[in-house]
Amino acid sequence: MSAQRHELHLLTGSYALDALTDDEQADFEKHLARCPSCAEEVKGLRETAARLAMATAVVPPPEIRIRVLAAVPRTRQLPPMTRNQRARAGGRTERRRLPLSRAGLTAGVLALAAAVAFLVVTQVSTSRQLQQAQASNRQIAGVLAAPDARIESLPVTAGGTITAVTSLRQAEAVVTTADLPSLPGTRVYQLWVMTASGAARSAGLLTITSTGSTTPVLANGVLPGDQFGITVEPAGGTQQPTTTPVVTMPVTA
Amino acid sequence: MTFFLGGFFFLAKFRRVCTNPVAPCLRIEVMNTSPSTPEQPGPGRLEGGGQDPADLLARVARGDQAAFEAVYDQFAGPVYGLVRKVLRDPAQSEEVAQEVLLEVWRTASRFDPARGSAAAWMMTIAHRRAVDRVRSETASVAREQRLTPGPVTGDDVAELVETKLDRQRVRRCLGALTQLQAESVKLAYYGGYTYPQVAELIGVPLGTIKTRIRDGLIRLRDCMEVTW
Repeated sequence: MSAQRHELHLLTGSYALDALTDDEQADFEKHLARCPSCAEEVKGLRETAARLAMATAVVPPPEIRIRVLAAVPRTRQLPPMTRNQRARAGGRTERRRLPLSRAGLTAGVLALAAAVAFLVVTQVSTSRQLQQAQASNRQIAGVLAAPDARIESLPVTAGGTITAVTSLRQAEAVVTTADLPSLPGTRVYQLWVMTASGAARSAGLLTITSTGSTTPVLANGVLPGDQFGITVEPAGGTQQPTTTPVVTMPVTA
Repeated sequence: MTFFLGGFFFLAKFRRVCTNPVAPCLRIEVMNTSPSTPEQPGPGRLEGGGQDPADLLARVARGDQAAFEAVYDQFAGPVYGLVRKVLRDPAQSEEVAQEVLLEVWRTASRFDPARGSAAAWMMTIAHRRAVDRVRSETASVAREQRLTPGPVTGDDVAELVETKLDRQRVRRCLGALTQLQAESVKLAYYGGYTYPQVAELIGVPLGTIKTRIRDGLIRLRDCMEVTW
């Protein structure tokens, strides 16, 4: 036992550098919760790693600043852990797992994830677009892999279906449609997040692809009580809906 | 105290100039001009000038976008630098750095100053995200991307002047390690390899690498006088 503990203690360095394999990391985190001296050492070694990180600083591309600061007002923040939650967590460090390997993903969500990746890739023609597609793909994957993700579909009266995968914990949803009636070039489908009070916020345009589906759109700030709505709008979209929605779907509670 | 209040009002005054999130915005650098408040080296201060990042993160957690901009301006350089060091590919690095910085905004309420410095918290997120990307076998799109031509942005990146001292110290301290220690630490952290992969690359037993990484880091900690 003590030999084994000693072995585990040797992993503090590798743990601080994120150099453990996934299995070992899980084991080591269990050990950390029971080993205050290991936790103390990890703390110091993480600070040391941060120094190694600070030394790599370079001037970041200015576009990142623009994009991040533009995303901030649209991104809901996590609530703090309350005293009780903190006690239950036992002071263990919160770690991210690979989003797509997370257990609890339903088959439906997985299928949609594959469809989304396919759609996004087939939509792309330049490397710039690919970059953007990857960024949104990554966010979309984050929603699909959320432990509380719920999938829901609804038929559209005029034809076709709307499908949404919603993570209320992340207040985000991914919305796609299939087989909506085609529109003339001067018109587009636009997706809205509508609150109970009637306010509508655009989540983006739904572009119909050659397969008849629309490119998945990520909607932020999705709360219980909201609903998704799709309207037909002039090409380029509008600030506020100008027509009656062809479909509305309540956010899954 | 007066200094901090002064800094806060100084910041508040300039906020108005900076309301458009898309337009290039005035950089806010709160200079410590008062000789009676010496710069405190130590926890939370490792980033050098500017405001205390732990205080800033507490404000970010309450939704303060100005505080987030200040955090951004202190840490975007290290975040991007670290991610780029691990991933190499400029396009992927840009994307991951963006995710990291947005995650700082999103999860600021989970930062606990009792458990470490703000810098360590952010760098841990950045490093983890970068290695997740490296190790993700499911990122089929990323595999695809390797086949496409590189991004238009140039490969040259300018090192930040502000972190010159950090760089010199790290170089000096890495130089004081044994070659095996330094190489293991660098491959694991900057290379994003797991320690079994490092062992394979260097051609030494697993147990040896485990101890070399730990010994190396402990020596670095002492050499850089990390106080935690």
